[in-house]
Amino acid sequence: MTVLRGTRPNPSALAQWWVMTTRFIIPTFRNGELITATAASVGFTAGFYIPLHEFMKPAIGGMSSYGQFLMPLIALQAVYFAAMSTAFRSANDSVSGLTRRYGSMPIAPMTPVIARLSASLYRCLIGIGVALICGHVIGFRFYGGFLHMAGFVALLIVLGMLLALVGDVFGTASRNPEAAMQWMLLPQMILGMLSVGFQPAELFPKWIQSFVRNQPISQWVSVLRALAGDSTPAAGTVTWKLLAISVAWVVGPALVMGPLSASVQRRRS
Amino acid sequence: MTAVLDGAVPVVPPGSERGLRALAAQTRVETWRLLVRLCRNPVALLFLVLMPIGFMIALDIVLGDRISAVTGHSALYGTVPMNAVATAVNGSMVVAVGLASEQTSGLLSRLWVLPVHRASGLLARMVAEAVRIPVTTAVLLGVGAAMGFRFHQGWLGVVGWFLVPVIFGLPIAMLITTVALYWAKTPLVEAVVLVLVLAILFSTGFIPLSGYPRWVQPVVEHQPLTYTIEAMRGMSVGGPVLSPMIGVLLWSGGIAAAFLYPMVRGYRRASTR
Repeated sequence: MTVLRGTRPNPSALAQWWVMTTRFIIPTFRNGELITATAASVGFTAGFYIPLHEFMKPAIGGMSSYGQFLMPLIALQAVYFAAMSTAFRSANDSVSGLTRRYGSMPIAPMTPVIARLSASLYRCLIGIGVALICGHVIGFRFYGGFLHMAGFVALLIVLGMLLALVGDVFGTASRNPEAAMQWMLLPQMILGMLSVGFQPAELFPKWIQSFVRNQPISQWVSVLRALAGDSTPAAGTVTWKLLAISVAWVVGPALVMGPLSASVQRRRS
Repeated sequence: MTAVLDGAVPVVPPGSERGLRALAAQTRVETWRLLVRLCRNPVALLFLVLMPIGFMIALDIVLGDRISAVTGHSALYGTVPMNAVATAVNGSMVVAVGLASEQTSGLLSRLWVLPVHRASGLLARMVAEAVRIPVTTAVLLGVGAAMGFRFHQGWLGVVGWFLVPVIFGLPIAMLITTVALYWAKTPLVEAVVLVLVLAILFSTGFIPLSGYPRWVQPVVEHQPLTYTIEAMRGMSVGGPVLSPMIGVLLWSGGIAAAFLYPMVRGYRRASTR
């Protein structure tokens, strides 16, 4: 009688993470995804700056240009596109059964999630780069020195990761990759338009002003705007209170999404 | 033992797929199929109802008052038509994504070898658009009416207002269908959304013409979406109708003329490969 005695493999979690991450990154060199991301950023910048910069100029509360005013929203939509892409990947993994397959292998449950988030970090960095170039063309400049500039980029990266986690959970829970990605357009559009990213809260009708002021996108826009600064004092100043609010809007959702991600991942594998 | 399956295969007399009677009957079946499929599509609710209505309401909240101050009437007379046309385009896009998958799954070639009138497949797509567009337009009109949109030009204006999105939507459906037939693997949704969003942001349904920088005004003024919005504005609140309508007809006729033949060729090509 033959006894098949297997040894339990002991793979390196780091190597697994790296394989899974490059699996998402390498295809972007050939599948035109980088072109789509760039086109989206350029289209968004041109599509909102050109029609609105003269129409909005008198309304932006003394800031030097509409480019300076609009830039935080352009940067936020860039990281949001990266998150939509993450939703598409995680939905694909979930629908094709790959998530279930991973569950049957000696892989830590969150390794695939972390790999997708790492790939999203790569997309975020590209998106932020393209957005900064677009912003520079429409007259956006950093006025606050190196520390504020680094804070601007760091906050965008953190927000990009948070949104990617939201996208990952949503995609994993869904059953249709294309639909998951496209459904994410809706909150972006509504919350983006009803934020202080386009125009100051005072210009909204009275009944909706408190929502516009306090919703997360507006909070993030306010901090980003203050971090970027302006040639006039109208951009606001970076205060501990402003930072604390935006940090709360990152930590709070992350505390909800982290466990949710683990539970959705477990349910779909 | 020999089994005789009598009557298992329907006997179709040769030539029965020809003629107007066959065309009408088969187009009806195919149209119904397309409309049912659209209703069951998970993204149809998003692109045909939630996105346009959400955009319309948000736009009215964000810019409504300032636009009314410039034009002298509610911004809804521009945003409702703009979203009606955008919904027509979105619908063509959702249907065209389905068409691309029907090509890859082999359904089109399957239909091609059955006794089905050659024109019924494409004709049904156009009829389905002509049925669908007034329905989605009516949904947007309902929301617009709740927000204060009213017709001031009588019944003729109402009828014309409902016809304009169909007149412009059909050529656009031909364009999108042609793209889907030749390039089944294009990221069709991304492409259509990007072009459509730019068309919306550079149209007079977004902000009045005078609000745009001078150098971009000619583009805004003469692009097709502006013509349809202005024609529909004239038919509802009042104002010039004839000149924007000529623009609508020229654009629609031009696009239809350019894409009719490639679409028919593309359908045959997609069905026979």
